[in-house]
Amino acid sequence: MSEAPKAMTAEEAYHNENDKVLRFLEPRFHEEKFPSIQILGYIGSLILTFGAYFLVMNHVLPPVALLSVILILAVFQAALQLGVFMHIREGRGLAWQLIPLYFVFFVALGMVAMSIWIMLFKSGVS
Amino acid sequence: MPSFVTYLIHTLFPPTVRFPDILLIDAGLVLGGLGLIGFLTKTHRWGWLWREWLTTVDHKKIAVMYLISAIVMLFRGGIDAEMLRAQLAMPSVHFMPAIQYDEVFTTHGTIMIFFMAMPFIFALFNAVVPLMIGARDVAFPRVNAMSFWLFAFGAILFNISFIIGGSPDAGWTAYPPYTGLAFNPGPGENYYFLSLLIAGMGTTMTGINFLVTTIRMRAPGMTLMKMPMFVWTTMVTSALILFAFPPLTVALAMSLFDRLFGSSFFTLTRGGMPMMYVNLFWLFGHPEVYILVLPLFGVFSEVVATYSKKALFGYPMMVVSVLAIMFLSYGTWVHHFFTMGAGPAVNAFFGLSTMLIAIPTGVKIFNWIFTMWGGRIQMTTAMLYQMAFIPTFVIGGASGVMLAVVPADYQLHNTYFLIAHFHNVIIGGTLFGLLSGMYYWWPKMFGMKLNERQGKVAFWLFFIGFWITFTPQYLLGLKGMTRRLYTYPAGLGWHELNVISTVGAWIMGAGFVALVYNVVWSLLYGERDVTGDPWDGRTLEWSLPSPVPEYNFARIPVVHERDAWWAMKQKGQTMAHALRPEDVHDIEMPKNTPIPFLLGVSFFVLGFGMTFKWWPIAIVGILGVIACLLFSGFDYDDHHHLEADVVRQTEASLGRLQG
Repeated sequence: MSEAPKAMTAEEAYHNENDKVLRFLEPRFHEEKFPSIQILGYIGSLILTFGAYFLVMNHVLPPVALLSVILILAVFQAALQLGVFMHIREGRGLAWQLIPLYFVFFVALGMVAMSIWIMLFKSGVS
Repeated sequence: MPSFVTYLIHTLFPPTVRFPDILLIDAGLVLGGLGLIGFLTKTHRWGWLWREWLTTVDHKKIAVMYLISAIVMLFRGGIDAEMLRAQLAMPSVHFMPAIQYDEVFTTHGTIMIFFMAMPFIFALFNAVVPLMIGARDVAFPRVNAMSFWLFAFGAILFNISFIIGGSPDAGWTAYPPYTGLAFNPGPGENYYFLSLLIAGMGTTMTGINFLVTTIRMRAPGMTLMKMPMFVWTTMVTSALILFAFPPLTVALAMSLFDRLFGSSFFTLTRGGMPMMYVNLFWLFGHPEVYILVLPLFGVFSEVVATYSKKALFGYPMMVVSVLAIMFLSYGTWVHHFFTMGAGPAVNAFFGLSTMLIAIPTGVKIFNWIFTMWGGRIQMTTAMLYQMAFIPTFVIGGASGVMLAVVPADYQLHNTYFLIAHFHNVIIGGTLFGLLSGMYYWWPKMFGMKLNERQGKVAFWLFFIGFWITFTPQYLLGLKGMTRRLYTYPAGLGWHELNVISTVGAWIMGAGFVALVYNVVWSLLYGERDVTGDPWDGRTLEWSLPSPVPEYNFARIPVVHERDAWWAMKQKGQTMAHALRPEDVHDIEMPKNTPIPFLLGVSFFVLGFGMTFKWWPIAIVGILGVIACLLFSGFDYDDHHHLEADVVRQTEASLGRLQG
C-alpha cells in the first residue's frame, strides 16, 4: 500500500518564511474572562438601530441627507456585527473565512449596483 | 360571547374556504387525524415517535422525514395541478370559481418549489452527503434538526391556509400591488409571507450547515478534487442558498410590513416601488432555479457513473462548469422581467448573460453522454430517469435560450410557452433527478430496493405523461394563451391542445399513483439489500451496510483516490476486511434534543398569530422562540459517547469485524 504524497498543509505554508502569500489571513485571537467588547457592541448596535429609526421617523433631515446618513449607519452596523459578534478574524488556524467574506462584499456590491442600474429606468419613464 | 364566536368563525372560515370540496377535505383531515391519534395511542407509539423521530438529530432520520414531507407535498401540489388542468380542459368551464382557481395555481407553484423540491433535495443531502465524505454527521446536527422543523412548520402553516382563513392567491411570485392590503385584505398573503419566511430561515441554516460540512468534515485524504460530484454540487448549492435567500427574506419581510404595519415599500400610494419587489424577488429567484437543479446535476453524475461502470467523464470540467453556473446565475435575474421596460442596455446585458449560462450546462450534458459512451449501461429505473433527463433538459434549456432573446420574450412572456419551458426544466431536471436519486439511494436509506419493474412503469407514465402535457403548451403559448387564465372562450383554437394537455396530466397522475404503489409494495415485500452495495457503487456511502448504523463509520476511512470505494474494491482493500477490533474507539455522537421541534412549534404559533394579527398569540410564539434559543445557547450537554464495545458488537453483528 503506497503512502499518500504528503502535501504541505496551509498552516505549514504560512509558517514557511519564504511564503508570504497567506500573511493577510493571519488570525487575531484573544481570550477574555468577561465579554465586555460584546456588551459594548450590543449597546452600540442598539444605538445605531434606534438612531436610524429616530432620524427616519422625525424627519430631521432632507431626504438625500437622510438616506446618506442611514446608509452610513448601516455600514457601521454591518461592520460591528461582523467584527464583534461574527468574530470574522478569529480562528485556530488561518482565517480562511475572510476569502468568502471578500467574495460576499463583491457580490453584495454587485447586486446593489446592478439593482440601481436596473431601476434607473424609472427616471427615464417618469 | 356569541359575537366573539361569530367573529372567530367569520375570520377563520370565511366564504372562500367553504367550497364543497374544501369541506369534504376538512372532514377527511379530521377523520384522518383522529385515526392517526387513535393508531398511535393504541400501538403505544407516542414515546417511540418522540424519542426516535421528533427529537432526533441524526442526519439519516432527518433525511427520511424530509423525504416523507416532500412526497406528501408532491401529492398536494399534484392534486392542485390536476385541478388546474381539469378547469382548462374545456372552454368556458367553471369547475372552480375564479378566486379558487387563483388560490390553486398559487399553492401549486409555491408548494412544488418551496415545499416539495427543496425538502426533497435536502432529503438527498442529508441522506448521503455525510456518508460520501466519510463523516459521522453534519457539522451542526442540532441546527440541522432546527432546519427541518422550521421547514416542516412553515409547510404546515402554508398548508392550513386553504382550510383556515383562505389561501394566498397572488401567484407563487406574489408581486405587489396585488399583495397589498388594498387589493387583498384576507389572511392568505400573510400566510404566504410568514410561511416562506419561516421555511426560508430553515433553508438558510441548511445552506450554512452543508457548506461547513463539505468544507470541514471530509475524511482525511479527500481533497476538493477527490470529492464525489454530488458533494461538489451540494457545496455549490449551499453557497447559492446562502447568497440567494437574503434578498427573498428582505422582499418578503418588506411586503409583510406593508400588509401588517402600514409601511409602503411596495405600494405606490406613498412613494413605494412595486418593481423593486420584482427585482428583489428574482435576485433570489434566479439563483433558486440553480439551487433546484444543481444538486440533481450531482445526482445524475453519480447515477450515470455507477450504472455505466465508468468514472465520470471530464470530472475537472464538470467542477469548473458547476462553478461557472454558480457565478453566472447571479447575473441573469432580469430575464424574468424583461417586459418591465428597463431599457435596451439592461435587457441586452441580461439576455446575453442568460445565453452564456447555456455553455457550462452544455459542457455537463456532453460529459454525461461521454460517460455513457462505451460503458456497460444497466437500464435501472434511476438510469432511465437519467437518460430521460438529457433530452428533456436540453429541449427545456433551448426554449429558455429562446426566451432570453429579448424581442422574442416580449411576445412569449407570461404565455404558456413560458409555462412549458420552466416545467420542462423543472420536471425534466429537478423532478426526474429527485426520483433518480430516490431510486438510487433508497437501499442505502431503508435497507431494501424499490421494485424495478414497478419503478419502470411509474417512470414511463411520468415520462410519456410529461411530454403529452407540456408539448401542447408550447403551441398554446405561441397561439397567445397567457398563464394564470382561469377560463377561455371557445373558438380561439386552444381547445384541442388543452384537452391533450389535460390527458397528459392524468397520465402523470397515474405515474404518481404507480410511484406510491411501488414505494408501499417495496416497503412491505421489497428485496432486502444485505450487501450494502447493491449497485456496485463507486463512492463511500456504498462501503457501509444498509441501513447505515447510527455512527456511520466505525473507523473514518482514508481516501486516496476519487471514487474512493471503487478504488478500494479494485485493490481488494474494502474496509470490512481491514477493520480490527482495536481499530474501534469510543465515538462522540450528538445527543437528541427537543429544542428544534419546540422551536418549530413556537415559530408556527408566532406565524399563525401574525397571520390574523392576533398579537397575544404572536407574543406567546416569540417568547417560545426566545426561550428555545436561550436554552439551546446555554445547553452544553449536547453530546454523548458511544462505547467502543457497543460499536464492536454492532459491527460484529453486521459481519464487518475481523476475528
